[in-house]
Order: sequence, then C-alpha cells, then structure tokens
Amino acid sequence: MLQYEPKAPYVRNRDSAFTVMMDVVIALLPLYFMAFYFYGLRALMLGLASVAAAVVSDFVCILLEGKKPYFRDISSVVTGMMLPLMMSAATPYYVVVSASVFAVVFVKHVFGGVGQSAFNPAAAGFAFAVACWPVQVFSYPAPFSSLEPFGTISAGLSSGPAWNLFQGGVPANDILDLLLGRFLGPMGLTNILVLATCLFYLLFRGAISWQAPAAFFGIMVLAMLLFPRIPESGPMSLVYEATTGMWVFGGIFMLNEPGTLPKRSSSRLAYGALAAVFTILFQRFGRAEQTFAFALLLTNVFSFTLDRYSERLLRRLRRVYLATRTKLSEKKSAQRA
Amino acid sequence: MSGNFTRGIILEQRKEPALRRKLRTFLNANYAGMLFESDLPYDGAALSGKQIIEIARLARIVDERDGLFLHEKLEKARRMNVKVVVGDAIDDEPYVSSQLNPLLFLKKEAGGGLRLAAKAVGNPKIYFAIYKNLSDLDLKTKLPKDIDGVEIRRIHGRYPAEFRTMDDFDSHGPAVLIGVCSLIHLYRAVYEHRIQSTCFVTVAGICVANPTNLEVSIGMTPTQLFERCGLAEEPGYVVIGGSMTGAICEDPDSYLVGTMSRAVLALRDEEKKRRYQCIGCGRCAEVCPENLTPFYINRYIELGKYETLSFYDIHRCIGCGTCSYICPSKIDIAENIKLAKIEMKRRRHEKEGD
Repeated sequence: MLQYEPKAPYVRNRDSAFTVMMDVVIALLPLYFMAFYFYGLRALMLGLASVAAAVVSDFVCILLEGKKPYFRDISSVVTGMMLPLMMSAATPYYVVVSASVFAVVFVKHVFGGVGQSAFNPAAAGFAFAVACWPVQVFSYPAPFSSLEPFGTISAGLSSGPAWNLFQGGVPANDILDLLLGRFLGPMGLTNILVLATCLFYLLFRGAISWQAPAAFFGIMVLAMLLFPRIPESGPMSLVYEATTGMWVFGGIFMLNEPGTLPKRSSSRLAYGALAAVFTILFQRFGRAEQTFAFALLLTNVFSFTLDRYSERLLRRLRRVYLATRTKLSEKKSAQRA
Repeated sequence: MSGNFTRGIILEQRKEPALRRKLRTFLNANYAGMLFESDLPYDGAALSGKQIIEIARLARIVDERDGLFLHEKLEKARRMNVKVVVGDAIDDEPYVSSQLNPLLFLKKEAGGGLRLAAKAVGNPKIYFAIYKNLSDLDLKTKLPKDIDGVEIRRIHGRYPAEFRTMDDFDSHGPAVLIGVCSLIHLYRAVYEHRIQSTCFVTVAGICVANPTNLEVSIGMTPTQLFERCGLAEEPGYVVIGGSMTGAICEDPDSYLVGTMSRAVLALRDEEKKRRYQCIGCGRCAEVCPENLTPFYINRYIELGKYETLSFYDIHRCIGCGTCSYICPSKIDIAENIKLAKIEMKRRRHEKEGD
C-alpha cells in the first residue's frame, strides 16, 4: 500500500529545510536590492555568477560522490548569494566565481556536504578571495557611479572608511551617509538599517535562534562603546565600526549558519561571545581591513568542543537535580511516617 | 501555573472531534450489557473498599492509561497508603480526546467512579487532571471548574504533558493516576454489575468525514468504525493510538480495537516525505522536554557509535517524538532512538551472556 513506512509522529511541523533556507534567501534579497540601487546591474550580475558557480559546483560534487542531486536543497544558493555581497561591486567575475567554487568544493563537500562542514563555507570563500586578491576585493567604486555590467570598470576605485579605521584614523564621512549606506564599501553590507531589518525578520521567522547573535552583538557593542580603537567618543566609534565593519552582516548571516553553530543554547551563548572576542582581537591585530571572516573561521573550530562541555555541565546539573529531588521526597516521607 | 515555561512544542489543531460534540455509542449486540454474578449490593455507599476492589476484579476492568488491571492498581495503591487519587483525562496528543470527552459527557459516572476508587484506596484527596494545548485559548471558558463536585486541575505547558502530571500532585504525598474511562466502567460495575465490554476511542483524521468520540464494543475493527463515522476519502494509512506515539495498523479489516487503543486515525498519504540531509539547525535540542541533545544522539546512531550514546543520557529519552515533529529535515529521530535503545539492550545482554 505504501512506498515508505511512515514513522511516529504522524503529524509533523510545516517547516522544512527548504523553508528554513528560503528564509535566509528572502532576508538576503533586500541587500541585493540595495546593491542594485547603489551600483546598478553589475551587482545583480555578480550575484548571479556566484550563485550559478556555487550551484553548478555543488551539483558536480554530488554527482562525483555518487549521490542523487536534490533540487530542494538550496544551501549552495545561500552560500553563493552571501559571497559577492561582502566584496566590492567592481570585483572581477573570476574572483567571485572562484571564491564561490572554493567555498562549495573545498569547504562544504570535502567535509561531507550539507550540515557537515566544520567551517562556514561563505566565510571561507571570502577569506580565500581576500588572501588571493586583496586589492580587487577591497577597492570600492563610489555609490551611484555607473558600472559596466561586463568588461573592465572605467569608474575610479579607492578604499573606503573601513581602511581609515584600520589605519587608526577617523573617517571623514557624514554620519547620515554612514547610516544610509552611501559610502565606499562592500556592495551589500553598507546599509545597517536594512541589515537590522533582516535580523528581525530571521528572528521572527525562527530561522535563527537568539542566543548566538545576542551574545555576539552584546559584547561587540560594549567593546566598541567602552574601548574605541580610534580617537573618538564611544558612541561615535560604535557608529563608525558598525556601519563600515563586516561583523554586523556576519553576526546575522554567517554566525548563525546552522551547520557550524553549536546545538545547545548555553554553548550558543558561549559561541557568540567567543566569536566577539576573536573579532575584536582580529580588528586590533589583524592585517586586513575586514577580518570578521577569519575570526569566524577560528570560532568554528570550537563549536563541537563548546557543545561537549555544555553537555558535560548539563549531565552534572541533571544528576544533582535528580539527587536533591529524591532526597527531598525521602525526607518528606520520613516526616509523614 | 507551573509548566508554562516548559520545553516542548505547541501543537496545531487538527481535524478532530469538537469537545462539545456528543459521545456516541456503537455497540456490538453480542456483548453489550453482559453482567457478572455477585451477591454484593448495587449501592456504592454500602460497599467497603475491599468489596469495590473485588467488583473491579469481577468486572475485569483494565485501566486504559497503562494497561494494568484496575483491581491490581487499587490494591497496590491501598497498600502504599496513597494520599491523592487523580482521574486522568490528559489527552495531550492532537486528534485524541477519548478521555476528556467521556469526562465531559458522563459526568455522573466519572465523578462517582472516582469517589468509589478513592473509597477503595482509603479516602484520599481526589482530583481530575485535564490538559489541552496552549494554542486553544478559548478552552478556558468552555471547560467546567469541577465535575460532579470534584475539582478539575489543568495541566499547563507544552506538548509532552502526561509525564509531568505527577509533579502537580505529589505535594500531598504519593499519588496514583487512574484513567477516566476505567473509572466510568467501575461506576457501571458497582451500580449495574456490568462487565467491561466497551472502550472509548476517538475516530478522527483528515480522511474521516465526521470525527467522533465513540463508545464501542471491545473487538471491533477499524474498518467498522470508519463505516460508522464515514470516510471522506480512501485513507493512506491507519494509525492506532495517538498521532504522536501511535503505531501503524497494517490490516484495518482484522485489527481488534481494545481498551488501550484510545484513537483510530485515518490519515492521508499526503506528506510525500521530502527527506533532506540533516542541516544541523539544532531545533531538536531546543524542544526536547528532557533537555537532551537529539542532534548528537542521532548522529552517533548513524555512525554506529553506540558506546558514546550513554554520555548523551539516551536512557532519559521519554519517546515523546517532539524531535521528529520539529525536525525541518524530516528525520525520524525518535524512531532511531527507540531502535538504538533496543540495540543497546541486545548488546548488553550479549556481553553478559559471554
């Protein structure tokens, strides 16, 4: 009668892996809209190239592994969509494509595919691009400058306010421009208001849990307020760092990538805090202007260990709780007798 | 109000009988109204506790909660000097209301039965315990505060509620939970000397035209029940028991519905199982009522590393199925854990045998 044997429970939640990842795709779309608004068609073409490269390499890897390709698994689309957003709109296509192929082949599939990778594919792809082509990735065109969708870029490229911060100086940009994202920067990460909306959307949909971002952003904001790395007051330093840094985007999208995030809520808090500490250290002592990806890759290593320690703590607490409960009930029955 | 901050899931309402929909009877003529022979009076007030237990034995009443004979349960409770007797009408799984519905429509029998059971145990405190999911907010107004003079206590919180019941009652001392249906049968046995020949089942599911709570003769087949309630379409598969923990009925024409059946569900084969690889989201660990980490348990089961499972306290799993319910990749985590427990037991026996 049945081709498969249904197993209990016979009612299931409506969410599926497809809807969970689709939520992330939907949250990434406004960022692409902003990129299109600032840089025109080239932003979208970069996204398309990256997604196509990711999907094709994913498909080839699955075939090479001898598995059946499954078109409702869109994790490679998510990886492909994230990558170009972190780079300049004038990045050559070969940089974006090779970063996305690297992310899917060498980070995702080498470890065994979806949900198995030890490192965040998007962060690793970006780190790869930074290591190989730092100039192309970090030279930004001015917003609203007309970029040719294909071929060489005629518009002038220069470094943005993130470079000033990295050098220890104060950016000369207007605060309103910074808050609205109208400055030289990665093509999708500059508008902090849109990013905040994405965070609330993902939290509301339950696509990400609150623990890791809460710990991460809490510590980051405190650190920026109390210990500014530029000669400015705390709140001003926070505005500069949050608008120009990649860590806001990373804390929303890359930190919460389900495969690398710890599974217990207590270890998620610790994971977010650890990511924040590494991000700050990389900011102070790093050798590039955007270092969040490297900090995240380092944090990924501790994911399983944190879970293991959290489980050990939980085991101990559970045993203490059960022991006290039995002791209490014994005491009660002794009193009654 | 303890239990509102419990871990677990909020289940959705399904195509199930409305609570105000009347309980109907569907009896097989051969056994309806079979009596046992006894000289004991037809009056609960005149009986002693021992005599009530004797009547429960003669009427062969089975508690639908755990499948034990009611007289054995009452005797044990009497020996243990139980302080609280709770009439259990906790239907925490969706589709099922085969304990709550009889409680609401056979108030006199249920209340009288609980008093008789209390007398048999030695006059402790009595309560009814009911549960409905947090999602139906309007139920608070619909449900009465007491049934036949017995206080109703609502179990609060999220889905797996049955295992939490004892926490609400054992503050007075040792408590015993007795299913409402067996209390109704106890009342009938005392006042009419009737042998338990019926049981209460919910007939529901997406394929059933009129979901109803039925009192049916023991030994009917699911097919007969579906004929009584009408099928809107051909069912994909039939489930006996709850929708969260029940079992598949292979042959609805010859399976016999019994005291423990609780519900007969005709479900559509609609959920073309789209299986995904585990994406590692960790939602199973968020909802587990025992605060386990089903993600790692499932992974180590897949890898065949059974010796690591005890580190993750697999023996504390209560088999409620919340992890499978919530899993976005539709992995049968609860089933895997169940099988792994059996496998671990087998290996332990093998080791001891050598």
